[in-house]
Amino acid sequence: MAIIDELTGVFRQVFGDDELVVTRATTAADVEGWDSLTHVSLMLSIEKRFAIRFKSAQVASLENVGELADLVEALANK
Amino acid sequence: MIRPLAARYPGAAAMTEIVAELLAYVRAKHPRSLAGVEEARRLDPARFDGYADLLVGWAMRALGDRAIARTVDAFALFSSDVNMAQGRYEASGSYEHKSYRGCYEAVYADKATMDDYLWGVYLTNFMWVHHLDISAFFETRFVAKLPARAALIELAPGHGGWGLVAMHRRPDARLDGFDISPSSIEISRALAAAAGLADRARYELRDALDLTSHPAGVADACICNFLVEHLEDPDRLFQVIEHVLAPGGKAFVSGALTAAQVDHIYEFRRESELVLLAERHGMRVLETLSVQPQRTLPRAQFLPRSMSLIVQKRTREHW
Repeated sequence: MAIIDELTGVFRQVFGDDELVVTRATTAADVEGWDSLTHVSLMLSIEKRFAIRFKSAQVASLENVGELADLVEALANK
Repeated sequence: MIRPLAARYPGAAAMTEIVAELLAYVRAKHPRSLAGVEEARRLDPARFDGYADLLVGWAMRALGDRAIARTVDAFALFSSDVNMAQGRYEASGSYEHKSYRGCYEAVYADKATMDDYLWGVYLTNFMWVHHLDISAFFETRFVAKLPARAALIELAPGHGGWGLVAMHRRPDARLDGFDISPSSIEISRALAAAAGLADRARYELRDALDLTSHPAGVADACICNFLVEHLEDPDRLFQVIEHVLAPGGKAFVSGALTAAQVDHIYEFRRESELVLLAERHGMRVLETLSVQPQRTLPRAQFLPRSMSLIVQKRTREHW
C-alpha cells in the first residue's frame, strides 16, 4: 500500500472523517481541526501505525503531508 | 509585491503594527499554532496586544528585522515540543527525564537548542492563554504592590521577560538575576539593553541554587517563575528564597503541575504540594492562581496546569 494511502487511514481515524482525502500537497489549513493538539494525536497515531518515533523538531517543522510521508518513510526504513 | 497587512490578517487595521505582523506570521508559517494564539488574544485583547507591543518590541530592538520570525519560529517549536511531551506523558504516566544530567544532555548542553528554547518560552508569557492569566496576576497582584525602591532578586530568569516587565512597570526598582545558563544571561542582557533597563537589571552567570552563600535578607522581593519543576530537589529552591528575602519580603513563584516538557523533572500533581513546600520553608502563602489551557489532548488523564504563588517570608511562627 502506498504510504499516502496508509496515512489517509490514520488521518480519517484521528479527525473522525471517513471521507477525508489527503495528498502530498495537503496542509493544516486544508483540514478542519488540524491544530497544534490534533497534530500531537496525529503524530502519536502515526508513530504507532508505523512503529517509529519522531523527534520534536521533526514534527514541528512539517509543512504538508508530502513532507510527513517522506519523514515516515525515512524513519521506517532505518 | 508585499501584500498589505490588512490582506494578510483579518482585522489588521484595528491592531498595532506589531500585533498584526505577529498574527500574520503565525497564520502564514505556523497555521497549526494559530487557534491557540487567537484564543489567548480573545481572552483579553488589550492585555495581549500590550504584551505583544512590549515584549516583541524589545525583541525587535534586540534582534532587528528578523525578530518576529526568530521568536515565533522558536515559539512554535517549543509549543510543539511541549505538546508532544504531554502526549508521551499521557501514554507513559511519568516525565521523560528524572535527573538534571538527562536534561542537560537533551537540552541545556547545546547553545542553539537553548537559544531556541528561551526565545520560544519568551512568547508564551502572552501567547499561551493560561500564561496570559499569570502575567496579569504577576503585574496586578505582585509588581503593583512592591515597596518603593524595591531590591529584587530573580532566580533563573531564563529569557528575563518577567523581571524586565517588573522593572518597566516600576522605574524605582532594581533587579539582580542569576541563571546557570549562558544563553539566559546573553538573552536577558540583550533584552534589558533593548528595553533601556540595563542600568537597573543586572544578570550574573551563577547557579541560583548556590545563593545560600549570597548575603542573607538582601531582597525586598524575589521572582522565580518555572524553575521548581526543573529540579531534582525543590526544597533547595525554597531554602534559597527564604535566605535571600528580607523578613516580610515577598516572592512570586510559579511551577508546572502534571505538565510535561523535555526538561521537567519533578512531577507536582496537586496545588497543595507547592503550598506546603513554601510553608515548610518559612513562607506564608498570601495568594495563589492555578490555570490551565482551554484545550487539552483528547481523553487526557493529566490536566497540564501552571500555578503561581505570592508568598511572604514569615516574621513570626505562623505568619
